[in-house]
Amino acid sequence: MYAYPFSYHRAKSLAEASKLLQQLGDESRVLAGGQSLIPLMKMRLARPSALIDINFVPGLADIQSPNGELRFGALARHADIEVSEAAAAIPILNDCAAGIADVQVRNQGTIGGSLAEADPSGDWGATLLTLETSVQCTGPQGERSIALEEFIKDAYTTVLAHDELVREIIVKRPPKSSGGAYLAFKRSAPVYATVSAAVQLTLDGKDICKDVRIVLGCVGLTAIRAKQAEAELHGKKVDGKTIQRAAEAAREAAEPQSDMRGSADYKRALVAALVKRAIGTAVRRARGERVEAGHEYVGR
Amino acid sequence: MATTLRTKTKKAKAPAASGPAKWVGQPIRRKEEDRLVRGKGIFVDDQKLTGMLHIRFVRSSYGHAKIVKVDVSKAAALPGVVCTLTGAEVKGMVKPFIEIGPDVGQKIADYPMAVDKVTFQGDPVAAVVAETRMIAEDAAELVEVEYEPLPPILSAEEALKDETLVHPEMGTNRNWHGVFEYGNVEKAFKQAAHVVHIGRLHFHRFSSTPLENNAMIAVWDSRSERIEYWSNNSFPSFAAQFLSPALGVGIDQILMKSFDIGGGFGIKITNYPYMAVCALASRKTGGLPVKWAETRTEHMQASAHGNERTFFGTRVALDKNGVITAIDSRHVDDCGAYPRYEPLGCVIWAQVLPAAYRVKNVRIDMNQVVTNKCPVGPNRGYSRMQQLWFMERVLDICGHTLGISIDEMRLRNYIRKDEMPYTTPNGCVYDSGDYAGMLALGKKLIGWDDWKKKQAAARKDGRWIGIGIGSTLDSGTNNFGQARIINNFAPFSGQSKAAIAKLDIYGEVVVSMGSVPQGQGHETTAAQVVADVLGISPDLVRVKPGFDTEQNAYTGHTGTYASQFAVAGLSAIHGAAVKLRKEMARLAAWALKAKEKDLEFGIGAQGPEVRDKRTKKSINYWGLANLVNVNNAGMPENLWDVTLNCRHVYHAPFQIPDTKRKYGNLTLTYAAQIHIAVVEVDRETFQPKILAYACVDDCGRTINPRIVEGQVHGCTAHGIGAALMENCAYDSDGNMLASTFSDYTPITAVNMPDLLYGHMESPSPFSYNGAKGMGEGGAAPVHTVCAGLQDALYSSGVIIDDSHNTGDSIFHALQRASSGGFAIMVRVEHPRASR
Ligand SMILES: Cc1cc2nc3c(=O)[nH]c(=O)nc-3n(C[C@H](O)[C@H](O)[C@H](O)COP(=O)(O)OP(=O)(O)OC[C@H]3O[C@@H](n4cnc5c(N)ncnc54)[C@H](O)[C@@H]3O)c2cc1C
Repeated sequence: MYAYPFSYHRAKSLAEASKLLQQLGDESRVLAGGQSLIPLMKMRLARPSALIDINFVPGLADIQSPNGELRFGALARHADIEVSEAAAAIPILNDCAAGIADVQVRNQGTIGGSLAEADPSGDWGATLLTLETSVQCTGPQGERSIALEEFIKDAYTTVLAHDELVREIIVKRPPKSSGGAYLAFKRSAPVYATVSAAVQLTLDGKDICKDVRIVLGCVGLTAIRAKQAEAELHGKKVDGKTIQRAAEAAREAAEPQSDMRGSADYKRALVAALVKRAIGTAVRRARGERVEAGHEYVGR
Repeated sequence: MATTLRTKTKKAKAPAASGPAKWVGQPIRRKEEDRLVRGKGIFVDDQKLTGMLHIRFVRSSYGHAKIVKVDVSKAAALPGVVCTLTGAEVKGMVKPFIEIGPDVGQKIADYPMAVDKVTFQGDPVAAVVAETRMIAEDAAELVEVEYEPLPPILSAEEALKDETLVHPEMGTNRNWHGVFEYGNVEKAFKQAAHVVHIGRLHFHRFSSTPLENNAMIAVWDSRSERIEYWSNNSFPSFAAQFLSPALGVGIDQILMKSFDIGGGFGIKITNYPYMAVCALASRKTGGLPVKWAETRTEHMQASAHGNERTFFGTRVALDKNGVITAIDSRHVDDCGAYPRYEPLGCVIWAQVLPAAYRVKNVRIDMNQVVTNKCPVGPNRGYSRMQQLWFMERVLDICGHTLGISIDEMRLRNYIRKDEMPYTTPNGCVYDSGDYAGMLALGKKLIGWDDWKKKQAAARKDGRWIGIGIGSTLDSGTNNFGQARIINNFAPFSGQSKAAIAKLDIYGEVVVSMGSVPQGQGHETTAAQVVADVLGISPDLVRVKPGFDTEQNAYTGHTGTYASQFAVAGLSAIHGAAVKLRKEMARLAAWALKAKEKDLEFGIGAQGPEVRDKRTKKSINYWGLANLVNVNNAGMPENLWDVTLNCRHVYHAPFQIPDTKRKYGNLTLTYAAQIHIAVVEVDRETFQPKILAYACVDDCGRTINPRIVEGQVHGCTAHGIGAALMENCAYDSDGNMLASTFSDYTPITAVNMPDLLYGHMESPSPFSYNGAKGMGEGGAAPVHTVCAGLQDALYSSGVIIDDSHNTGDSIFHALQRASSGGFAIMVRVEHPRASR
């Protein structure tokens, strides 16, 4: 369990980190929380020649909520977001942050690292796709803002250039009468979900769905937006029947593979169950109820 | 949060020649706790010796393949690499390990590394020894191995076909076969009111996940001609018996040492092949210490798994009341690529042949096969849990099909309290126990009647809620004579443990016993026993844990396995302490000019002492030790035999079983666990959830209730993990699919229900202290959770036929059920239903 040899560099700013990435070449990598990168290195599945540590860049872990937005510095830890009052205003963010792995991982792992890693089972990707999310990036050419939909291209692949870094994640605050929920089934705490479902919707006064996004995690190369499922709710009254139809449509949208977490058939069944429940929680939250939600685990 | 309920117990009678039971039975904190929770434990990997080298294994990526070529030249050339070893080279340095099995089993050539072919994924084919672990890891990647893949054998059914052989020299894959038949099975079937036929049942492969993986340091010292081991092997005297002939050194030249061990559960008993390689590596380097610290992936792939067992063609005869009168079945155990501790498992299950039930007529056709999976090791609950699970499935399936409630089914079939000691059809003697009483306590704890009502109401709402009972026996202190049933020539029998109790030269009370605790708290319970014998307190007793050939007591049976410390271990310690007390009394009588009968033991102004009740004169322990060791002019000749260093060997009262009839007493004590679980299967996610869980244990007299409760909690977690999460699965190519924790998902706190805990005491008549071993727990939750699932899903046509159940498997079982799966699994005949 030893990584291949690598050199270690500490960046004082993102500009410096970008420059180092350029100088040190293709095999150099950014180190954020290290919760994806270090295990891969120890198992010798990743072999970077150099690590550029951004943990000492000042201000990069800040969480701010200026007008109508939430801004997460790339280094904001899952645990920071879990306890952040600003983030609590958007419950789906808390569902996601509080449910990632275990305390150790949450204390180290970062939101920026998660998105940059683009793990098909990552919790942040699926969650943030239900919101208006943009990724602020810093590179040699300066800054650019990329919509999250464009940012993640494929499994473990983003549009970031080698010498480009995530600086900030900006989430637009949903309008009034909105609610969301992120619900995953995980076998135990420190493992990735088997299936997850993220739902964010806006209601009018009569439970008619004005806007909705439904995203599925772990059942495709990237998180999947279940557009047909959304259509089953859009402009309609959200009730048992429409929820059921949306859940069935989501089942169809999933493209799961069989593995140790479960068979493809079963994962589809889980998609339907989780989407149904997530819609239920989202609706109650949209109506202004406080609903505590936790992931599903084996045994309880 | 655990809730505890205890039934009243009578005060233990103080055994002769010892003080009153003041400490035994008390929930005192563990002596070893402080060291362990502060990170001050001393584990193998903490040891750093001068000149120490590190070994790394190169392992097969195939489950079954011919080795065409192994090229270590690039690895050997890497700076910092000291030497390499290949299987072919090792073959020239050792003899194959002895095999316990007879006949075809004797033909297996089990070398410590793969020679011509690999037989499981992770099989070691080469090793590199280097100055640092990192260099060793780099070098291992430079070893080039060429394979020619062979078709892997991955199930009992495939193995029995003998189309591909795991070990061609055996001529078959079946390494053991024997029929265990008692009573008159055919007659019972003829007279039965109901006969239930059950299709294939399967007990899955799972393991234990000790926090500390296998670890060892070997030094083959060419000057002393000795091999010194510091390891976490949990049965060192057994390992030495395997290593000595293989390495060609006298058993007295093999020194074993251990100290703190981070969990074992039996899995570390069979790490001796790696011990052999480490010794050979040390010899090759000219006698430098060689350390191996296993990685988690190595542990999951290639240390040891628990036994997998498949049950075929089961027939059950019952009378009109649902009392089981006969069982006839064929069992095939899968021991993986090499037997090693096996085929002992082919008899060990018979310790609990009828489980907790009165069935008299039994025929079990027992088989074991080798496959291309990781070799098995005696995993907690070893071989008995498979049989207990089988019997519990039989009870539940019969109960449900005949419409008898599962609690009633058990009450009608349980061995009764007034039948104890109870002799089973195969001659085992259940020492004591009150299974019906335990069930009653469990029902009270969980609120049985209330749950029954809730269950009925929930069913109406379409929910799947089941209430399951698991009846489990934890047989402890095994009779090695049962090995003769496996192989008439096996050179071991009985059971023994040794201990030394001494007053060291400054009067310290020191106890050693050579046991290898891995969390069982031996230091504490040993100190409690000695404190009572001498009338002092446990903190005044220094207990030396671990095995140490040169320093601590041991016999050829010494190790920590088979739930026996509370009986065999503590009997040895008690015996040694009583001997010490007698010597101290003789010495004190002379020193105090008193009569022995007037002496009392206790703690005085100058520490622990012996005093004359009449004169109030006393001598403290330092004074007594001084008389023997420092200041002994004038000591009368009749005291010259006093050493204050007393060794005692405890022998369990066993006979060699009748090997023809496969009859005899195979274990001394039978602790019991009755668990009850309320399980709900979610109708949408199909996930099983445990709504309530109660465990009731009875391990006779408890030495330390806190330790017992801790063991129950641990066993319960282990079993729930096995039932719902943990599975050593293989794909059809022989790849082990759970080689990391992300895949194996050992149980974590979020998966655990709150436990309701209850305790009863049925003292064993066969141990001096009334105690019974209880550390294994018999995988009680595996039976219990399966029973709960069965209750929840029976009405949907599902038969729980596997010990491992997930949302996924339940989802598929329900699909099969809707296409007529039930009829294939269970068939009922009523030949004489009127009787
Ligand atoms: C046991 C365990 C269980 C886990 N379970 C879950 C889970 O259930 N759900 C889940 O979502 N995650 C899980 N994770 C992963 C965890 O959330 C990680 O924190 C996350 O995936 C990566 O974030 P990090 O900060 O640790 O990134 P790192 O590991 O440091 O980096 C990951 C990758 O992103 C790149 N990178 C990091 N930061 C930046 C940046 N600012 N700009 C550009 N590139 C960057 C790195 O170069 C690297 O390639 C688990 C991890 C472990 C160890």
